[in-house]
Amino acid sequence: MTLIVVLIFIGIFLYTIGKEHKVLIDNKDITVGDITYSAGATYKVWVDSQGIGLVEKDERKVARVAGASHKIVVEEIKDKVLTGEKYEKRFKLKTNENATVSIPAMINNANEWIDKTN
Amino acid sequence: MMKKQSLTKTMNPGVHFLINYAVPITFTILVAFAIPVTGLSGEYFVRELMTRLSRNSFLVLALLIPVMAGMGMNFAIVLGAMAGEIGLIFITDWRIIGLPGMLLAMLISTPIAILLGYFAGIVLNRAKGREMVTGFMLGFFMNGIYQLVVLYVMGNIIPISNPLILLPRGYGIRNAINLLGIRQVLDKLIPLEIGGILIPVATLLVIATLCVFFIWFRKTKLGQEIRTVGQDNEVARTAGINVERTRILSIVISTVLACYGQIIFLQNIGTMNTYNSHEQVGVFAIAALLVGGASVAKANIPNVFIGVILFHTMFVVSPRAGKELIGQAQLGEYFRVFVSYGVIAFSLALYAWRRRVEKENERKKAMVLKRGILVK
Repeated sequence: MTLIVVLIFIGIFLYTIGKEHKVLIDNKDITVGDITYSAGATYKVWVDSQGIGLVEKDERKVARVAGASHKIVVEEIKDKVLTGEKYEKRFKLKTNENATVSIPAMINNANEWIDKTN
Repeated sequence: MMKKQSLTKTMNPGVHFLINYAVPITFTILVAFAIPVTGLSGEYFVRELMTRLSRNSFLVLALLIPVMAGMGMNFAIVLGAMAGEIGLIFITDWRIIGLPGMLLAMLISTPIAILLGYFAGIVLNRAKGREMVTGFMLGFFMNGIYQLVVLYVMGNIIPISNPLILLPRGYGIRNAINLLGIRQVLDKLIPLEIGGILIPVATLLVIATLCVFFIWFRKTKLGQEIRTVGQDNEVARTAGINVERTRILSIVISTVLACYGQIIFLQNIGTMNTYNSHEQVGVFAIAALLVGGASVAKANIPNVFIGVILFHTMFVVSPRAGKELIGQAQLGEYFRVFVSYGVIAFSLALYAWRRRVEKENERKKAMVLKRGILVK
């Protein structure tokens, strides 16, 4: 009986850490209330150390990640060269959640930089 | 031991060796002729062989315990493979990826494999002496139930929500499932590349662990009991061993291992053919073990690796050899299927013939002994 309970808990643990989430990364203009954050530059993006590649202006890319806690890192590119200007954010997702990250909002530290949906 | 002695006495040691190792010798000769014909590069050949060794060894190892228990080649490992596939269907539906996904598939399929193994054990206990053909038929029977569950129950009674695996009509699973989320997660867990060849270190470690487990298991009480049952059921029963229970346990262990083996196999391939992936599992694993020099009554760990290497070398070279020799790669494909079934048929026939010779020798020996007693 104890073994069955332990196995169920292991199952729940594996489910939680292995659950896939879709993270959309937008580099588009975004309006939050009265403020509009404009997309200007191209960014190189990593989600949980997984390289997503370059996200140009008005472009959207998708990252598939597993687990609850995640980290997104974006680095600005000017004239096809990494500027070294990095922005980093951490976020958590519930088992059934997916997210859309707005790079312009993220680099401006807006609270609405991430939109979580079920 | 006595059987071995009686056979050895009547035959020249060279002939005895040739008869015992007829299948591996034939395969070695075939492979030795086929490799130069193909013109394959050494790197390609080693890469293919490494992939196939890591992909198939676990499944072949799953066959060892029933042989130890005197139940012959367990064709019912197909049941374990089906259990593994059900686990993979669930994790794909729930979108669980990476190593946790693979482990969860193993966890989900373990109780199914135990149940199927228990069922197979009961059936095989009722068919003592005809375990192999019964196991073979059991695979067909369970395939029907598997298809019923996967084609009609999943999506209808068992909730499946992922449209990528569900048939457009709303129930039933698609013919092919993409296992991209867990593709080669175990193989690439510990990345190591030597000379451009990826070495699946973690998979090889898992296989090595299973080998160590077997060596340890043989020395345990259950291992000893299984060996005793394998030697003689009546002697085992007299020694107080529950023969039926021991035989069921050996099939359960084999089925569970086959279930894990199928998951390891499919994570390497990265796609699952829902209705066919398990069908050939038993035949190919058994053929590989027999090619390695095992017999229906005796199989060990070296037989597994020799068999996988020889049998899969044949798989690698036969389509190319067919193309080079006849101009048709398809012929090589037919050839390897023919070889798989042929090897099994040949090994079984050889085993039956050896058993008949042994029995005849024992009968003659008994007659001589009886005559001697009467003369006295």
